[in-house]
Amino acid sequence: MNTTSPQISMANIFRFLAQSMRYPDAEWFNEDFWSVLINLLEELQWQEDKAELTRVKAGSKDFLEDVQIEHTRLFINAIPHVVAAPYASVHYKGDGTLYGIIAEQTKKFYREKGFALAKESDLPDHIVYELEFLAILANEDPEGQKKFLKSLFTPWFEIFKSKVLEEAHHPYYRVVMNLIDFFTREEL
Amino acid sequence: MSFKVTRRKFLQTASIAAATLPLAKVVSAETGFVRDPFTPPGSFEGTQTVTGGVCEMCFWRCQLVGKVRDKKLVKLEGNPKSIDNGKSICARGNAGIKLLYDPDRLKFPLKNVGERGKPVWKQISWQEALDECGSKLKAVQEKYGSQGIAMFPHGASAKYPMDFFEKVVGTHNVSEASFFQCRGIRDSAYMSTFGVAPGESVDMPNAKAILLIGCHFGENVHVSHVKAYLKGLENGAKLIVVDPRYSASAAKSDIWVQIKPGTDTAFLLAIMNYLVQKDKYDKEFVEAHCVGFEEFKKGISHASLDWAAKICDVPAKQIQEVAELLAANAPNVSIHPGRHVSWHGNDFQRIRAHACLTALLGAIGVKGGFVKAKGVKVKGISWPKVAEGGEEHNLKLMADKYHFAPPGTPTELIRDACITGKPYPIKGCVVWGQNPMQTIPNQQRMVDSLKQMDFVMCVDVMPTDITMYADILLPEACYLERYDYIKTGTQWNFADKHQQYIAPRMPLVDAMFERKDEVFITNEIAKRMGYGDKIPVNTLEEKINKELAGVNLSIAQLKKEDGIHIQDGKDPYGVSEDFEVQLYNEDLEDNDYPAVPTYIPVEEVPKGFTRLVYGRSPVHTFNRSQNNVWLHNAMPVNPVWLNDEIAKKMGLQEGDEVSLVNSEGVKSSSKTVVKVTPGIRKDTVYMAHGYGSRNPMLTVGVNAGVDDQELITKMTIDPETGCNGMRNNFVKLVKDGKTLDIPA
Amino acid sequence: MQYGMIIDLDRCVGCHACTIACKAEWDVPADKGRNWVRRLGPSNTPEGLASTYYPGLCNHCNEPSCVPACPADVIEKTFTDSKTGKTTTMEVAATYKDPFNGTVQIDQDRCLGCGACADACPYGARYVNTDIMNEEIGGEGIADKCTYCMPRVEKGLEPACVQTCLANARIFGDLDDPNSEVAKYVKKGAKGLTSAAVNIGPNGRYYGNKKDMHLLTTTSTPTEMPSASLRRSLMARLKPELRKAKNLGLLGLAGAVLVSGLNEDKKE
Repeated sequence: MNTTSPQISMANIFRFLAQSMRYPDAEWFNEDFWSVLINLLEELQWQEDKAELTRVKAGSKDFLEDVQIEHTRLFINAIPHVVAAPYASVHYKGDGTLYGIIAEQTKKFYREKGFALAKESDLPDHIVYELEFLAILANEDPEGQKKFLKSLFTPWFEIFKSKVLEEAHHPYYRVVMNLIDFFTREEL
Repeated sequence: MSFKVTRRKFLQTASIAAATLPLAKVVSAETGFVRDPFTPPGSFEGTQTVTGGVCEMCFWRCQLVGKVRDKKLVKLEGNPKSIDNGKSICARGNAGIKLLYDPDRLKFPLKNVGERGKPVWKQISWQEALDECGSKLKAVQEKYGSQGIAMFPHGASAKYPMDFFEKVVGTHNVSEASFFQCRGIRDSAYMSTFGVAPGESVDMPNAKAILLIGCHFGENVHVSHVKAYLKGLENGAKLIVVDPRYSASAAKSDIWVQIKPGTDTAFLLAIMNYLVQKDKYDKEFVEAHCVGFEEFKKGISHASLDWAAKICDVPAKQIQEVAELLAANAPNVSIHPGRHVSWHGNDFQRIRAHACLTALLGAIGVKGGFVKAKGVKVKGISWPKVAEGGEEHNLKLMADKYHFAPPGTPTELIRDACITGKPYPIKGCVVWGQNPMQTIPNQQRMVDSLKQMDFVMCVDVMPTDITMYADILLPEACYLERYDYIKTGTQWNFADKHQQYIAPRMPLVDAMFERKDEVFITNEIAKRMGYGDKIPVNTLEEKINKELAGVNLSIAQLKKEDGIHIQDGKDPYGVSEDFEVQLYNEDLEDNDYPAVPTYIPVEEVPKGFTRLVYGRSPVHTFNRSQNNVWLHNAMPVNPVWLNDEIAKKMGLQEGDEVSLVNSEGVKSSSKTVVKVTPGIRKDTVYMAHGYGSRNPMLTVGVNAGVDDQELITKMTIDPETGCNGMRNNFVKLVKDGKTLDIPA
Repeated sequence: MQYGMIIDLDRCVGCHACTIACKAEWDVPADKGRNWVRRLGPSNTPEGLASTYYPGLCNHCNEPSCVPACPADVIEKTFTDSKTGKTTTMEVAATYKDPFNGTVQIDQDRCLGCGACADACPYGARYVNTDIMNEEIGGEGIADKCTYCMPRVEKGLEPACVQTCLANARIFGDLDDPNSEVAKYVKKGAKGLTSAAVNIGPNGRYYGNKKDMHLLTTTSTPTEMPSASLRRSLMARLKPELRKAKNLGLLGLAGAVLVSGLNEDKKE
């Protein structure tokens, strides 16, 4: 499975993936976003995923709210328990709390590449930030991108992804996990 | 004692296989990976020290500094400038970091689109959340009157909203757990005797003898209070501890009175009677300051040593020994007022006895005695009292009960109204920083009260059990992320130079996610309820600055002073001439309560059962901290203390896993382990309070240990105050599904 | 100079502040500890019912059993006395007893995380932190333990546990200085946890009343040295050049010894 269109750059892909992990609200989680997502799945020839998502959307009374509830349950607070808070610190090394060792290492990496978070007190190891950063690296620093993936992203994303895949009720986040996995997996 | 070495076991088994396995290859030099191991740098370098922290892991409020490394708070320490806790903080204070970064903490406003008790959460915007809170509460107010709203507040951040609901909205139905399930009885009983609420104001560092009824310092930790207690011991004070259990304080005592639970009042009466009969009390003090001595003397004259010995199940000689020791060291004796005193429903009388004993010994205003520190008063700025209507919907007055209740409304009257709709319905509920599920007896009544509400909102930092019943759940900034409480006080040892301090809480880090503080939340709701014009301050910072201005200080000034302002203090010793002690209280009599401290027996333990009592753990604050990963690992479960002889008869051993069932058939949802010890009475079992949360949103704390409150279903209400006595529940142990009787 | 720690059980209230402060200072994983507090009793002792605590930490022993257990490469290391500037050089593996201040330290940059040192300690004072590792030498983790907060002490600060103790029950200082608090406690009778079989000169000592000390010593004194770990005895028999090989898993180790042993037999 390869991306075929030469106009799709890795930077754009990463930005799209980052967007897909933000809290869904009517402003961006709209028909435009939806059609880009469906197109992407089409290009990748992931027909089953495309079909399932389309079917679920068609059969839902309020697709946006469904995904909002799922996002809250998986990533924020939930019953039985928050499935997978989307921070490296929670899943890899440390004791499961926020702002662990890997968060500090990630922040250090951003700084070494000349970047800081716009909101300084935000947590640097949120998946959205990491994907946005990968977009920056894709344009400027392919070596850096490889290193970031290997040492700071993939080790925790693997764990995070399997938790989400196991517990997801809604196909949207399963698809997003698989997309992120596909585009961040080390090329063999 | 041998130490298990699992790696060694592995090594030993490996050696067996070694011969058939090949040599490991030497790793190639290049891994393609640049080394950057994380060496813990420690908190003392490369960090910024931020002052102005005031702890709220418990409510003693030690003064803190934060060590911040590049926006990450890495460590909390005592503010070395503090004359209160100094450079020390306790386990919970140190563990505040793990509250700040707890992934289970509330982050965004949530709306429940499922049912109360089985929530389905959806994140919503603050605008939407506040709109709903404001409009729903307004609707309740319009339909049912202001009295249709009840509030369960706790902590520094709940004061401002509490004032709004009481003074502006105008409901009396506020139940503070710190009063009705804790120290309200103490405050009220001392008010009825000394005319002042006591705090824990005994001058232990300078005492010659200290009497603790149930206090278990060491398991209960308030930093400067433990320092004061230890200083007293260091200075040679004799320690008497009255407790059915060999607690952390009993372990340091000179005399341990292993009293039968519920009978402490009889013990105190016998001591007082002994002192009076033997003329070993402070006649001069009594003459000068006490009212109703003759009635008092008559009222306690039945309390002989033998009478008490039989009731309390302790030797008469020991009661005498204690009385003699107190008399010999009077007036420099600390009769500790206690703190959490709501035990058996007969507690008001017991605490009156504490106060009367103090007076008999003349131990007021003298070294080692009952001495209130002369601190600074900083006037708070809050909502103006504008609500119309006086006491007409005051449940307490309507019931003509609990005439000596602490401020607010007794919890049970509120829950009665919720459940029965009489004398009027309560349909709106605001829970702020309190967890009524794990705090108040009979959890089913709480569930029933909440389920019938039109609207329930909760504000908290953690998803505690109560939040499962919220319609709207709001995430609050924690004490590390906001201004508010202005802590004032003096040095803890009155023998040291007299100083006063003022330490306002200031944020050590920015609030993460979308957490907001109490002024923002309350003001926004107030606007939506139509009270926008009554708003007294616009931000917390403004509030604190205005309050500090009242004592000629400001936030900027405090920042220059490393977070703590210190000034000369005043000598706290001495008793004013008009200080009056009501040994016999006429008001009590007028309301048909015993006017003189009186022992009222409690229910006996039914055959086959044992009494469940609870207490504090040094690594937890009630149930608030059970999800904290550091504190949880320090003491993961709360063992149930079982007398060793009883354990032997039952065939139970140290470490056996058990659950509990009470005399009303309620079973504990989770398990704990047995601690076999001679250090507890045969008719009593003990557990630390605050474990066993049933909310799965607390991924660390859920189902760890047993929730004692789950088993506290029998209601015992102290008649004078309406506060809940919680040590009148009886249990059996359940092992491997089999319920075991407790032998005599 | 020999740094030591005294725990005064008359003062200690078992509040656990020391363990949490240490975790915060040194990023210790939540379920492990460089120090610990265990509640003892209430139990009967010959002097009466007693209840006290065992606040434990590395004893920075005079003859530490952990130091010789380390199979890492031996190198020459130069030590500097922070007070006099004197230097001396020793051959050390990845853990050693500082010749000037008497503390036992781990060279965490060179540690393999094999755990042999942790196995060798009769007090269980060490653990392996698997969150960090020296990947380029094939490490599985890094051994960790109390350092008597030497980096803090060198800056004139107290060890983190001493600073936070609200009971002033932890006293730290130079045992070789007769005027120090710790030396005075030793004179008063403060004892280390030693037994007939375990007598490696602990510099952590305990002081308390008779019944509390009885309870402490009878419940918390190690009565046997951990059996020499197989790894350690194997390493000791290896020829020097084989010992230098990196990432020798145990199985490889055993193989190497067997091969080496065979050669030895052939020679005879």
